[in-house]
Amino acid sequence: MPISEASGTPASPAATRSAFVAVDVRSAGDAPADTIGERLRAELPELDGVVAQVGWVRDVPGLLDPAAPPAPAGPRAVSLLVGGIGGTESSLGVLLREGARREASVLALVAGEPRGDQGAWLRALLAPVLEEGYDYVCPAYGRHALDGALNTGVVYPLTRALYGLRLRQPLGGEAALSPAFARRLAADPDWKRDPEAAGSDAWLVAKALAGRVRTCQAWIGLQPRHAAEALDASHVVERVLGLVFREMERHTDRWQRVHGSEPVPSSGEAPAPSGEPPLPPVGRLAGVFQLGQRELAEIWSAVLPPATLLALRRAAALPPERLRLESGLWARIVYDFGVAHMVRTIERRQLLRSMTPLYLGWLASFANATKGLDPAGVEREVEALCQAFEREKRYAMARWRWPDAFER
Amino acid sequence: MWDKTKEILVESLDRMQQALARLLPALLVLVLILLTSLLVSVAVRATLRRVCARLEVDRRAREWGLVAPGRRSHPSLWVERLGGYSVLAVGLLMGLSAFAAGAASALSVRLIEYVPHVLLAVVILAAGIAVSRALERSVLIGAVNMGIQSARFLGLGVRWLVVVMAAAMALEHVGVGGAVLPMSFGILFGGIVVALALAVGLGARDMVARSLEKHFGRQPEAPADEEEKEEDLRHM
Repeated sequence: MPISEASGTPASPAATRSAFVAVDVRSAGDAPADTIGERLRAELPELDGVVAQVGWVRDVPGLLDPAAPPAPAGPRAVSLLVGGIGGTESSLGVLLREGARREASVLALVAGEPRGDQGAWLRALLAPVLEEGYDYVCPAYGRHALDGALNTGVVYPLTRALYGLRLRQPLGGEAALSPAFARRLAADPDWKRDPEAAGSDAWLVAKALAGRVRTCQAWIGLQPRHAAEALDASHVVERVLGLVFREMERHTDRWQRVHGSEPVPSSGEAPAPSGEPPLPPVGRLAGVFQLGQRELAEIWSAVLPPATLLALRRAAALPPERLRLESGLWARIVYDFGVAHMVRTIERRQLLRSMTPLYLGWLASFANATKGLDPAGVEREVEALCQAFEREKRYAMARWRWPDAFER
Repeated sequence: MWDKTKEILVESLDRMQQALARLLPALLVLVLILLTSLLVSVAVRATLRRVCARLEVDRRAREWGLVAPGRRSHPSLWVERLGGYSVLAVGLLMGLSAFAAGAASALSVRLIEYVPHVLLAVVILAAGIAVSRALERSVLIGAVNMGIQSARFLGLGVRWLVVVMAAAMALEHVGVGGAVLPMSFGILFGGIVVALALAVGLGARDMVARSLEKHFGRQPEAPADEEEKEEDLRHM
C-alpha cells in the first residue's frame, strides 16, 4: 500500500548522501515500494532515501507532487503514477527526472517482484556508485544458461562483441546510476528524437557502453520473475531484438571501432542458480525451425546470403536430437538480421518475428550441445559462442557498409 | 476525250482539296493536342518520379511485401508509367473529338468521363494487392511461429480473400458485372473462408483444442512432457 509520505523516519541532520530508488511495478496489488524502503533502511542505514513506485499502477491513490520540496527524511515510500513504457514517462525517465530534482547521490531502478531472502542485494547494487565512484552498475543474477536463452544466445554475445565489454546480463531491467551519468542521460536528445526507444534497458546499456562511462557489474542474487515472461518467443524476440538492433544502428560509429572484448569490474560472487536447469523441448523447437526453413525461405533469402541459406537447409534436414547450428553461422545470422533491420529490407516487426524459428533452432542446437554438461562446460560453450560473435564482427562491418552486396 | 478526262481529274482534285481543307484544321488540332499531352505526360512522369523518390515508394513497397523480396522490381516505375500513359490516352481521346464527327465525338466524351473511374479502380486493386501481400506475410510468419503446418496455405488464403474483395470493389466501381458480381464474390469469399477454416482445423488441431480447453475451463488432458517444459522456459 504505497501511499505518499507513508513510512517516513526522521533524517539525520548530519546525513549528506541520499538515494532515490524507483521500484518498477508491473502488476497492481503489490506494495513493493514499502518493502524496498524497509530494505534500504536495513542495508544502508547511513543513507537518506526516497523510494518511489513507478509503472502501470492505476489504482494507487496518492501521487508524488511535482511541486513538493525535496525533503527526504530517511528511507520512506512514496507513490508515483506514470502511464508509459517509453520516453520521458518510462520508469527510467521518471527515475532520472525525480532523482535529479532530489539531488540524490545514487539513483537506482529495481524490479518490484518479490525476491525472497537474498541477502544485501540492494547494497550490492548501490555500493559501487557510492563507494567506488562507478557511473553505471549493471546487475547480474545467478541463472542457468538456458534460463533466459535469448540473453545467452544473442543479447550477451552481441553486446559484448559490439561494445567490447563483457556484461553478462545486459538487459536485467535494473540498474544503479551516478548523478552525473543520470544528468547526462536526462539531457540526451534521444528523449525527443526517438522517444519510443529512449528509456529502454537496451538504450541505457548502449549509452553506458558506447559513452565509455565507468561501468561495473554487480552480482545481486537470483533474478525476480517478471509477469511479462509469459509472452511467447516471437513477442520476446521482436521486443528485445528490436531495441538492441536500434541501438546497434544508433552507435554505429562507436562499435565499428571496437575490437575484441575485456571483462568489466565485477562485485560479489555469482550465486548458484536455484532448481534444476530448464530442459527446452528440443523436438518442438526443431519442428518450428524446420517449418520456418520450409515456409520462410523466401523472406530469409532477402536477409541472409545464399551460403547461410544452404547451411540452414542442411541443418534442418537433421533429426532434432542431432540439430546443430555452428556458432559462427549463428553469429552471422544475427548480424545479417541487424543489417536488414537497419536497411528495412522488410517491415521491421515482420523481420524480427521471422527470426523466431531461427532463434528456436539455435536454442534446440545449444540444448543438444550442452546436454549432459556441468555448469563449467556450459559456460565454455557460451564463451565459444561469444568468441564466434567477436570473430564474425568483420563480417558484420562489411555487411553494414555494403548491405546489398549479396543480393541477386 | 482528253478534255473530259482532264475535267474529271481537276474536279476530283478540287474535291480532295476541299475535303483536305475541311480536315486540316481538325488534324492540326489533333497533332497539337497530342504534342501537348506528350509534354504534359513527360512532366507528369517527372513529377511522379520525384514524388516517388521522395516518398521512398520502392523501399516501402519492398518493406511491405508489395514486391517479392530479392526481385529487382520498381513499383515507382509502374506508378510513373500509369500516370504518363493515362495523360496520353486522355490526350488522344480529346484529339479525336476535335474531328467533330458525331459518333466519334460522343464516344470520346464518354471514354474521357470513364477514365477517372478506371483510374480509381486500378488504385483500389493495387491497394488491395499491396494489403493482401503484407497480410499474407504477416499470417505466414505468425502461423510458422505457432508451429501450424498449413502456414503457407493460411497465408495464401488470406491473400486471395483480400485480392478477391479488392477485385470485386474495383469491378463494381467501373460498373462491370452488374448483379452477378456480388453473388460470385459471395461464393468465392465463402469458399475461401471454408478452406481457411479447414486449414486451421487440420493444421493446428491440437493447438486449437488446447486453446479451447484453456479458455472454456475444461481440464486439458495430461500434456506431454515437452509442453510442460516449454511453459517453464524463459527467453529473457
